[in-house]
Amino acid sequence: MEKNFIIAGFGGQGVLLAGEVLANAFMLDNKNVTWYPSYGAEMRGGTVNCEIVMNDSEDVSSVNKAETDFIVALNQASFDRFLPKVKKGGWMIANSSLVTEAKTRSDINYMFVPMTKLADDLGNTKMTNILSLGVLAKASGLTDPKLLENALDQVLPPHRKNLLPLNCKALKIGYEYDLSLARA
Amino acid sequence: MTECLTKTSKKVLTKGNYAIANAAVLAGCECYFGYPITPQSEIGEFMSGKMQELKRAYVSAESELAAINMVLGACSTGAKAMTSSSSCAVALMQEALSYAAADELPVVLVSVMRAGPGLGNIYPSQGDYNQATIGGGDGDYKLIVLAPATVQECVDLTYKAFYLAQKYKNPTVLLADGLLGQMMEPVEFKEYPYPEVDNSDWALTGAKGRPGRIIRSYAPLADNQCEFLKKLHAKYKLIEENETEWEEINTEDADIILVSFGSPARNAKSAMKECRKLGIKVGLLRPITLFPFPSKRISELADTAKKFISVEINMGQMIRDIKLAVNGKVPVELINRPVGNPPSVEEIVERIKKESEE
Repeated sequence: MEKNFIIAGFGGQGVLLAGEVLANAFMLDNKNVTWYPSYGAEMRGGTVNCEIVMNDSEDVSSVNKAETDFIVALNQASFDRFLPKVKKGGWMIANSSLVTEAKTRSDINYMFVPMTKLADDLGNTKMTNILSLGVLAKASGLTDPKLLENALDQVLPPHRKNLLPLNCKALKIGYEYDLSLARA
Repeated sequence: MTECLTKTSKKVLTKGNYAIANAAVLAGCECYFGYPITPQSEIGEFMSGKMQELKRAYVSAESELAAINMVLGACSTGAKAMTSSSSCAVALMQEALSYAAADELPVVLVSVMRAGPGLGNIYPSQGDYNQATIGGGDGDYKLIVLAPATVQECVDLTYKAFYLAQKYKNPTVLLADGLLGQMMEPVEFKEYPYPEVDNSDWALTGAKGRPGRIIRSYAPLADNQCEFLKKLHAKYKLIEENETEWEEINTEDADIILVSFGSPARNAKSAMKECRKLGIKVGLLRPITLFPFPSKRISELADTAKKFISVEINMGQMIRDIKLAVNGKVPVELINRPVGNPPSVEEIVERIKKESEE
């Protein structure tokens, strides 16, 4: 089985870090995983994104995929850009705090979660990225909060370790968000 | 990031550039000289901390010219030394590489390709296949060139680059691309697996108790130069015989053989598997050493395959070496992208379908 993910948003929203945490979680689950960032001029302004390819059957994944199983869009520009890339039957998981809820494709699954608002309610807007991983874990069933917590522990540098408990809370909020609301 | 990059049997999620840098440290690299350029700057960044921590030499040079010549100097003393750079800056190093080949110095150069020609861009590319395998320095010289396709291979082939450079006293290039440099994958940093090579019979270590030595490429008499070149090329032949390395899958019954190195080889491999599902007999040959190139094997396969297709991120450079090896026996086609990420699996499969119908 091979699944691929794109996490996208504004520069500064922590999409590369979120991707790294997700990739680590897959590694800790003994999966093969490849992470690579968007690369080139688009890094200067506009959207940033990274792609994560997970597989449990092959040692080497192909890259530059034409279609994506799961997209996490943290802003409108990412939503608009990557909507056409969602695989038929795949998932568009959007941060409805910054993305207008519109379902222009009927062949994919949508999930709209006000991630930035939930992070603000938690007390730190920077938690949006990690909160989105909680939502992704729930929607995909391909990883879980425990693995993501362990991954966070690996990825956070020593001088940021004090933020681990808050990050774990964000994960939990994302994971436990009422899906019936998200898919309404 | 750097914390988890110690010697360990455990897998760590690591960027290609950090993997190369940490492997170089574990291979015993004593001196790093460099000048930053995207997409390989993390190598210098890592070295700037690690080398000082280990009381080894790190110099942020004033230019790429300076950096490579510092490597030549350090290597002449028998030290394991390296630099790393990218495309337009590796171009600046060509003169020194020719000198290092003539001086028979074990220089290690990591070249993480970006888009050219000229200043180009920071997108991944394989536009420096020719630069690495043919070179831009003067004279009849060869560099050993190793091409990783995964982050684990960035580690393994960095080890190998140091070993082969020492073993053959020949400048050696690890040829990666921007995608691989920036990519993260789980890797294992095993111990440096090669023996240490004795260099006590040539290194400049001070002439106490022995006659002085001179390392130079200057040969004032034509006869001497002829002898020297014959000797040098006998060494290259030996390298071809001993060190040619490639990965080969499903070639035995293949009608079409894809040849691809570095990151696009990953997509070529997936495309091959897709085609097999469709009943098209496709095989893959992935050169791991670009010099020495697996010409002999390709020539053998040209007796049974109906077509070769080179998959590259350039306008078609390795395809020339494939054509030379195939020597007109069967057609050789190209699937390429000028710069950027590799051709997608779907794109490759579509082209193969067309090619197989012809």
